[in-house]
Amino acid sequence: MSMDFGKFLKSPEYDIKIITYRDIFQVEALESDRFGEEYKKLSASISMSKIDLQKMGIKSGDRVKISNNFGSLVVQARESKRDEPGGLAFMVNSPWSNSLVSGETGGKGIPEFKNIDARISLSKEEITTLDKLMKAFSHI
Amino acid sequence: MITCTGCALLCDDIEAIVENNSIKEVRNACRRGAARIKSCSNRLVPSIDQKPTDIESSIKKAVQIIRNSKAPMLFGLDNSTCEAQIKGIQFAKKINAIIDDTSSFCQGMLIEKILQERFRTCSLEDIRNKADVLVYWGSDAQDSQPRHLSRFSYFPRGESRQRGYEEDRLAIAIDVRESNTAKICKGHFYRIPPKGDREFILALIEALSGKVPAYDTKKMLELAGILKKAEFGVIFVGIGLTYSIKDDFDILIALADRLPNFNIMPMVGHYNMRGFNEALFKETGFVNKVKFNGKAVQDMKYSIMESLNKKFIDAIVIVGSDPVSSLPGSVLSHLASIPVICIDPCMTMTSKIATVTIPCAASGLESGGTAVRMDGKVIELPKIIRSDHLTDEDILDRLMEAF
Repeated sequence: MSMDFGKFLKSPEYDIKIITYRDIFQVEALESDRFGEEYKKLSASISMSKIDLQKMGIKSGDRVKISNNFGSLVVQARESKRDEPGGLAFMVNSPWSNSLVSGETGGKGIPEFKNIDARISLSKEEITTLDKLMKAFSHI
Repeated sequence: MITCTGCALLCDDIEAIVENNSIKEVRNACRRGAARIKSCSNRLVPSIDQKPTDIESSIKKAVQIIRNSKAPMLFGLDNSTCEAQIKGIQFAKKINAIIDDTSSFCQGMLIEKILQERFRTCSLEDIRNKADVLVYWGSDAQDSQPRHLSRFSYFPRGESRQRGYEEDRLAIAIDVRESNTAKICKGHFYRIPPKGDREFILALIEALSGKVPAYDTKKMLELAGILKKAEFGVIFVGIGLTYSIKDDFDILIALADRLPNFNIMPMVGHYNMRGFNEALFKETGFVNKVKFNGKAVQDMKYSIMESLNKKFIDAIVIVGSDPVSSLPGSVLSHLASIPVICIDPCMTMTSKIATVTIPCAASGLESGGTAVRMDGKVIELPKIIRSDHLTDEDILDRLMEAF
């Protein structure tokens, strides 16, 4: 049996800029059951252009770790079905994307919800649950 | 007929089939609205320290927490009726609390300028009847206010726009992303880089002034030409634009001044956020982030974000809002460390960290009242289902009685 040396290698990390947006299907799931699987599935996801995914060696459906100084989480990567020029990653606004947002507001009271710098790498960990996100700041 | 509380369009043409005091079917609503009208699957129950109790004990505990607080905050009320909002403002005034809502990190700065009459604005009916050029800027109405284009802006045959979108109306999208709204604006989608709105506005002002803008010259001159010819234009300002120009918001006023035939419409999410802003404005002259202490003072430090960042609130009453879901994770540790009183019809992430939870009736279904649409029109919310739950207004009244 040959040893899988690949598992000892750290997946390469890439810098990305995340733009958040709203999605009617995800909001529908939120209204029905914000603790449900559908809301998690539609929120814990990041989409990018096909070219960007290829450059990073990521396939649609792969799990990826997204992290920065404010948080770290695992979500599913998806290929965008839109006409994307590349260079940007997209997440639906949710507690998952919010866990990556700085509390700094530059004195305006408005955080940078829609303009998030982070790093991305392939991951074998499970998709981050809402419970896990809450554990990051509370004792629950 | 019922009114949908899914967003600030407050669609009042919704048919709901009620059987045995529950909603069996919803007609005319969008996906979001239908899901909201059918109600959440997890109703909130009264609790203290996450242990179930009765409603009277939870109200009693809430009063005790507020009594012991030296710096209380009342937050939320964007998903409450105007009547509950007025009660909330009176309560905050009575206990010298800080009061704020989601608008302080959403569309508050835009609505404040609209109420100060710094922008021309109009009604959604005016748009349906007269508008010929529609600019969705940082706004994906198709996903956030899904019936906006079909009820009011692009698709209807209005009084002076009988030929509708086929001939009489032109829709433009300016966005960092090809949103579902941008897809409808085919041929008139202007993609801008993140934070590129300011540069885009400056170039557009140049083009409107007859100068040749350096930025994307051809497209900018084409856009300026379309806007100049408009008989009745509207810029729908989404949070994408508000967030991008928050440091220099007056630049939008400068653009609006160059477009005398245009109106500004705030694209509001929560169904009665504008109602809260208007009620607080009427009472204090400010739309959010206010502290009562004999008089009303507005300051950035009274915004929910800065109150948590600076850790100077020691208890919080949250009504119909889920800040644990909507705020950055990095500011939530202070919220989780102070007593939280959560008043809501549904279980939320906030209710899961709350010291006290007090369930209330779902407004627009189990309780009636009024709400303010995104354009400022007051809309009736009929009650259609019987409920044993107190309304949020009743609960605020009960809390206020103790002081």
